[in-house]
Amino acid sequence: MNTIEERLWNYIDGTCSEVDRKAVDILIAQDEVYRRKYQELLALNQAFSKMELDEPSMAFTYNVMEAIRAEHAQQPLKAGINKRIIKSISGFFIVSIALLLIMAISSVHTGGAANISVHLPDNLRLPDIKNYLNKPVLEGFLFFDIVLGLFLFDAWLRRKNVSKQV
Amino acid sequence: MQSKLSDIELIEQTLAGNQAAYADLVKRHQRFGFTLAMRFAKNREDAEEIAQDSFIKAYRSLATFQRQSKFTTWLYSIVYTTAMTFLRKKRVDTDSIDDENIYIQLENSSSSHDINSAENKSRSYYLNQAITQLMPDDAAIITLFYMGEQSLDEISKTLGIEASTVKVKLFRARQRLKEKLEHNLKHEVKELI
Repeated sequence: MNTIEERLWNYIDGTCSEVDRKAVDILIAQDEVYRRKYQELLALNQAFSKMELDEPSMAFTYNVMEAIRAEHAQQPLKAGINKRIIKSISGFFIVSIALLLIMAISSVHTGGAANISVHLPDNLRLPDIKNYLNKPVLEGFLFFDIVLGLFLFDAWLRRKNVSKQV
Repeated sequence: MQSKLSDIELIEQTLAGNQAAYADLVKRHQRFGFTLAMRFAKNREDAEEIAQDSFIKAYRSLATFQRQSKFTTWLYSIVYTTAMTFLRKKRVDTDSIDDENIYIQLENSSSSHDINSAENKSRSYYLNQAITQLMPDDAAIITLFYMGEQSLDEISKTLGIEASTVKVKLFRARQRLKEKLEHNLKHEVKELI
């Protein structure tokens, strides 16, 4: 239920409907109580509008900018590195490796593969890889890989979580 | 001298790496940011800390500012949340009975002032004094509406509440402010306004 004051504040703020505005117009013109209340609230509204803002200290802006500068100075080098530089370096290496591979593959003579003869010294005995790559070694290697993978995944999730909090 | 560029232009320059543009933005809005913080902190030192923290937070998140609303609306919401966090850290519950007592004490101490000295003091002084006696939320709504020139919709975004709730809260806050003025100034309130 609207009180007189609530209705008049809505009228002053311009938040009432067109119908209500017209009704209040008539009431202010004809009803002494409404007119007095309206003038009182209008004066109050004008007084509120003329309130002055508080003044912060003279060094306010300086302090804010100093804090921002200090934060920038503390920024880790990793975050300060331009990502484009990293991308261009990795691009250079990828292109170089690709070119080397293409050159190596194109220089291979597939037709003469059967004629290749390698002369190894008689006293040289190459290790038999099959002896080392047995089942327990492979399983151990895979287990190590899985543990390492989990560690890296955990570290990545932690970094992601920290950056979200910041 | 303050920049003639708009808030958005200053933000764009800041994002392009021009920190001086952000300094201009701070200069432009520091008075209101500080005044809003004063509504919660009640003392200048804490209010400065809240306002400065808010500007630093705004700088950090400037890239995330979506230009759908005014920069001030976004900034004031940061001031509001920073002030609330600050109050929570200081273990001040704004709704507690203790707080009510503080405001009652403030009220009593101000009413014991020599009313005759009213002639020598400005309207703004008495209004600000009455505002400091309000609960922080009431004071913030009055400040945002009258001094920040924020619409009900903008205030609802700043405080994170419905516009209809803001309307009701604003009405009640104005009523309470009027009562405080009447209480502090007795019959002189009519002369004041």
